[in-house]
Amino acid sequence: MAALIDTHKEEIVQAAGISTQVRRGGKGAPLLVIHGELGLPGWLKSFDIIAQDREVIAPSLPGYGASERPDWIMSVHDLAAWVSWFVRDNKIATPVDVVGFSMGGWIAAELATLNPAIFNRLVLVGPMGVKPREGEIFDYFLEGGMTGIRRNFLAPDSCEEFKRFWGRDLTQDETDAVEWHRETTCRIVWKPYMHSLTLPHFLLSIAVPTLIVQGEKDAVTPLDCGRMFRDVIPGAKLETIDDCGHMPEMETPARFAEIVRKFLG
Amino acid sequence: MRRQFFFFSEMGYNVYPEEEAQKYGYTSLMFPNSIFDREKARDLWQMFLREHEFASDVGFDGSVCNEHHNNVLSMQESVNISAAVVSQRIKGTIALIGNPLPIHDNPVRVAEEIAMLDLISNGRIICGFVRGTGVEQLSTNANPAYNRERFEEAYALIKKTWTTPGPFRWEGKHYHLRVVNPWQLPLQNPHPPIWAGGILSPETIRWAAKERIAYLVLGSALDATASCREIYHEVAKADGWTPGPEHLGYLIHTSVMDTDEQAYDMGKYHYGGTSAIGRDRGGGGGALTQGTGSGGATGTPHPEWASPPGYMSKQAKAGSMARERRMSEGTYDAAVKAGLIVTGSPKTVIQKFKHIIDRTDPGYLTFWAREGRKPHDATMRGIELLGKEVIPALREHKSALVTGKEVTPWPH
Repeated sequence: MAALIDTHKEEIVQAAGISTQVRRGGKGAPLLVIHGELGLPGWLKSFDIIAQDREVIAPSLPGYGASERPDWIMSVHDLAAWVSWFVRDNKIATPVDVVGFSMGGWIAAELATLNPAIFNRLVLVGPMGVKPREGEIFDYFLEGGMTGIRRNFLAPDSCEEFKRFWGRDLTQDETDAVEWHRETTCRIVWKPYMHSLTLPHFLLSIAVPTLIVQGEKDAVTPLDCGRMFRDVIPGAKLETIDDCGHMPEMETPARFAEIVRKFLG
Repeated sequence: MRRQFFFFSEMGYNVYPEEEAQKYGYTSLMFPNSIFDREKARDLWQMFLREHEFASDVGFDGSVCNEHHNNVLSMQESVNISAAVVSQRIKGTIALIGNPLPIHDNPVRVAEEIAMLDLISNGRIICGFVRGTGVEQLSTNANPAYNRERFEEAYALIKKTWTTPGPFRWEGKHYHLRVVNPWQLPLQNPHPPIWAGGILSPETIRWAAKERIAYLVLGSALDATASCREIYHEVAKADGWTPGPEHLGYLIHTSVMDTDEQAYDMGKYHYGGTSAIGRDRGGGGGALTQGTGSGGATGTPHPEWASPPGYMSKQAKAGSMARERRMSEGTYDAAVKAGLIVTGSPKTVIQKFKHIIDRTDPGYLTFWAREGRKPHDATMRGIELLGKEVIPALREHKSALVTGKEVTPWPH
């Protein structure tokens, strides 16, 4: 497993005229990863496990990581359209399997409703995009950057992945990146905050096998959001992970990878 | 221009229980309004309006009004309503520090209200525009990441509203209006003088210079204000024109009493007032209080609220953080020495302001002469001394920047 971490590649490609950072690793059928509102801090352990029999392709969305941020991207709809363009420009065979995390789950779901032919199987992890009937989606903008990141974890200080990326004194560049991602997210999901008024209606149109994964102790996306996705998307299943917060891909990487691999087959 | 001397008060809700502020650790945004006392607030309004009236009676050229939201810092939740009321109580100019443009979804409404104010007051309005504090982007749900874009677009729209005959259509990035054709236009043709207020954000200073409108320095230290003037003049020079005093306003905390000692004591209300929170956080955000640490009636925000994502450029943020750090490490004495708070008897204060005028030559000098929990009696005495002794002594003082004479020394 450790060897694979060393074999993942990072490159800059063009997508929709935007210079885009992409991390890729593994061999096999492609799995597209759409990261969430915090950006992607690096190549995750869970990607490494999944990459044993899949090619994991994880772009940084415009405005995150080393990808450019054009002024004209202002909504999740724009990002969904951009992902579609990224897939085409980078000759990723469709329909492709996809996993979307948090806001990235919303982007994936949005795209699935717009372009039903693009995805093969859909994994939505702690997805945002719908207004929960109970509880409220955590408001990142009332808290500092690091408070928001920590809230993604049930137990950040004992999480290896948290510690690897954020559990130390960050360099100025790393701190700037946290703030830059907050700003990009703010541009996109300010109002209505982290949800769409139309997505709940369009979810019914998703016709591909869909799995929703959510940590039982998710303190960012209320569990009711996961249930809403499950209830509306035809045939969708919801799998919850015990003792896990909003980022099972980092907090319980082995369990998360196992669930995803099993679902994707 | 003839220099104008104004009175300013945030008209803050200064009667909140200190222990509640201590308990929450902030006095803005989420500070629960169950603490608000309606009767006390009514009484405060009457007191504040009397202070404005008195300033006008004793010789001030005008009063300055402002706007803040979800904040004990100021009870003026609409600067235009404040200005409307104050205009009926004073004889002189009513200057608005600012309509915070980005929080409005229809900037033409602002243009309409300013026009009403100017007509009702017989052309006594100075119209200021600001970006609003960081906290206010949260309290009004105005996307902070687009704050500057919205500010500049709203300004352009309002300016066009006043300078281009309607009707016209506006299709911008943030604002979209089918028909712009407000019936009323300001009495001052084409529009009242415009100020852009700020706390030394270099982008705003440069923008104001490009637009050739006055930049109003909000409660910053003297050295910083002098640098701000230099930046403004450099931009103007590059564009081939020379600014006058009418292009700079300076709002400055001022405590005048009969003796230096009394004034020094009362000046403490301008620095932390009775709020230990204000002192601990160096005034935090409520951007207007930055650099002074004033917390008496001021809104001390949670530090994150002062700077929501994208609200400040990296450069401005670094500057602001450094400023906060300096002040939080500082003391009341340091604030007085830096000229953040001008205190003294009339004689002392006259000399201090001659020094300030010599170094900055502001066309509009605004005394922030009521702050926090400063007692009403002391406030009234300060206003009286300013109006009757200080302002007359400063009227004819020409800046050393103009005369080339030596700068009046700062009294020690």
